[in-house]
Amino acid sequence: MIEFVGLRKDFGPSTVVEELDLVIPAGEIFGFLGPNGAGKTTTIKMMMGVLEPTAGTVILDGHDIATAPEEAKAQTGYVPDQPALYDKLTGMEFLRFVGGLYGLERGEIDERAHDLLEEFDMLTREEELIETYSHGMKQRLTLAAALMHRPRILVLDEPMVGLDPQGGLELRQILLALAASGVTVFLSTHSLSVAEELCDRIGILDAGRLIALGSLDELQSRAALRPETAPLDASLESVFLRLTAMEDHA
Amino acid sequence: MSRGPSLRLLLAPRLLAARHALQRSYLKAVLLVAVTAAFWAGCFTFFTNVLEFFQTVTALGPLLTQRLLVMILVSFFAILTISNVVTALTTFYLASDVRFLLAAPVSRRRLHQARFTETLVASSWMVLLFGLPVFLAYGVVYQAGPLFYAAALATMLLLLVLCAALGVIITTGLVLVFPARRTRDALVVITVALVAGGYMTLRLLQPERLADPSEMAGFMAFLTSFEAPSSPFLPTTWAAEILIPLLGERGGDPLFHLGMLLTTTAVAYLASAGLVTTVYLKAWSRAQEGEVRRGGRRRLAAWLRPLAAPLPRTSGLLLVKDLTVFFRDASQWSQLLLLLALVVVYIYNFSALPIDDGTPLATTLREVVAFANLALAAFVIAAVAVRFVYPVVSLEGRAWWILRAAPLSLRSLWWSKFWIAFLPLAILGEILIVVTGQFLGVAPEQTAVFMATLALLIAAIVSLGLAFGAAYPRLDTQNAAQIATGFGGVIYMVTCLALIAVVVALEAWPISRLFWHQFAPFPVSGGEQAAIGIAFSGVAVVTLVTWAVARRTAIRHFARLG
Repeated sequence: MIEFVGLRKDFGPSTVVEELDLVIPAGEIFGFLGPNGAGKTTTIKMMMGVLEPTAGTVILDGHDIATAPEEAKAQTGYVPDQPALYDKLTGMEFLRFVGGLYGLERGEIDERAHDLLEEFDMLTREEELIETYSHGMKQRLTLAAALMHRPRILVLDEPMVGLDPQGGLELRQILLALAASGVTVFLSTHSLSVAEELCDRIGILDAGRLIALGSLDELQSRAALRPETAPLDASLESVFLRLTAMEDHA
Repeated sequence: MSRGPSLRLLLAPRLLAARHALQRSYLKAVLLVAVTAAFWAGCFTFFTNVLEFFQTVTALGPLLTQRLLVMILVSFFAILTISNVVTALTTFYLASDVRFLLAAPVSRRRLHQARFTETLVASSWMVLLFGLPVFLAYGVVYQAGPLFYAAALATMLLLLVLCAALGVIITTGLVLVFPARRTRDALVVITVALVAGGYMTLRLLQPERLADPSEMAGFMAFLTSFEAPSSPFLPTTWAAEILIPLLGERGGDPLFHLGMLLTTTAVAYLASAGLVTTVYLKAWSRAQEGEVRRGGRRRLAAWLRPLAAPLPRTSGLLLVKDLTVFFRDASQWSQLLLLLALVVVYIYNFSALPIDDGTPLATTLREVVAFANLALAAFVIAAVAVRFVYPVVSLEGRAWWILRAAPLSLRSLWWSKFWIAFLPLAILGEILIVVTGQFLGVAPEQTAVFMATLALLIAAIVSLGLAFGAAYPRLDTQNAAQIATGFGGVIYMVTCLALIAVVVALEAWPISRLFWHQFAPFPVSGGEQAAIGIAFSGVAVVTLVTWAVARRTAIRHFARLG
């Protein structure tokens, strides 16, 4: 479970994230949407303890990221939007390093790394330096690293960027399987079709405020109340455009 | 129809970035100008003195002047050519924006012009900075006319362009044969090895012998007979033949040699342009090929793992990771060659000191040198720390998120980084103190005091390095040398020097008392004992407080990096 409690972030005089209160139950795939600059990545960085909030906190699987960061992080896998890795390590060495950081037993690390590299179709290049990998391969390696310690929560920031159609399909299948096994998935994405296909609930962040929250049906109902802002059909794209336009007009 | 983007437009990103950097920090710009001016003045004064001294050697004076000029020109030419080869590799084949330019409607010829200019500026400014005061000194000492200055400037510029053209041609040839990253690694290692070797050779030649008048005569004889490459086909010979007659030393045909230099430079430039225009895409494509090697990598990790075994889990993991990255990056591990040269020369300096004749003066001198050795060893450690400890945080680069998102406290992270840096530096520092102490005949008790002081100093220096490194992070570059020469690196070095000065000042008196106590029959009084105790405690307090404050600062800045 993920719980945001009054989370806020100010950069100087401007508020980037405003008083975010939100609960995401275990096993849910939650879609976190919003236009560019809405504060999605800032929210995720605070959630992962990479950025200090101005106020509030996030509770990950019962552990407060502010007061028990190690315990909270140990339950969480993170895929950032820019997968910068150690270029001079090989893929296998990187997974070993991450496995060690998350406290996996030595014997388990190699087996787990091997399985994940196989699952992500990278076994043939496990001994090559990461600097020789394509963007998509780095993205897949980052995903593999996030899954090394079998997290209870998976946080993904734009994970589809750089993946080929096959990679995208595999990722969707993996996320569905993880959610079915009780893993909470927090997915920030610009791909509305992905959110539409995968997410149990969707939250839309605009200018740092959570302007809409609910299932796709609930969001459609809410958007239908304001027909003057944008044409509405059944798609999430149309719902998204109408809801964010409503905020701009407000 | 459009003729494509202008050269000015292609150079705009670099020019604008430089302008923004200057605008962002006016203080830095002023500091830079002041340091440059001081350097210029120093170079000019030094060469003026040397040339004036040569003029006093009536018979050999003109010959020495000419030989020195040829030596300078040959050195410039060699340094510039190597520097241009290394720089051209980056600007033409490894820079991230080349891909963008290749996709844009930019002609190969224009691309060559832009990258050639960048290569020329990036690799030549240092030599130009050093060279102009040298030529100015020649002009002033020999009271040359304005024609000499104009010719010196023209000669220098032509040599710079010629070396840049040769650099581009050699680099393109190398890239066509070897992958670019391997070429860069090899060039970096060769360059550093040459510098380290040259430095050691120069020191082991015992230049202090030249202070002896009879040895000075020998040096002059050497310089006179110096077989600098002086083939009539060499550009450096033409450059010398332009300048020497204009100094009024002897007759010659400067215009002819200027013509030779000018036409050769033009041909070299056009050849580099022709080569790049013809084979650029092929060479660039080759440069994109990654290095694929199997088996070898596991050996490095397998070798490092036992080394990390006694350490706590996280520290061990970070150690293996940091060392693996270090030894796979030629620009980093090759610096160890320089460090080795530094250590050899340092120890050699103490072995060569003439202070063992048993006189009271020699005894005093030994005490002074032994104490200065503590300060010098600390200085060497600080210099090494600027290069190896200060960049540690920045070298995590954009991958910093991996450590921040992991279940790892910032304190554990700091301790891991601290031990990884402290242990090798402490071993290096203590070896320097013990070995040089042996040469100086320092008493074991005194050596123990020096060792303890140095250990405290090194702990504080490493802690400061992590604090300054975290406060002035440069996550966008993987070049440790570049990181170390930034503003934060300079402030760090100054802080280290201030700390060393304070510690040396605190310890000078008690060490002196203890040293002379060895030769005096009377005991150290109670008051003196207390004062000595306070002074040593002062050293411990200063270093430990610095260590603790720097540690807190580093952890606070760690939290802001993400």
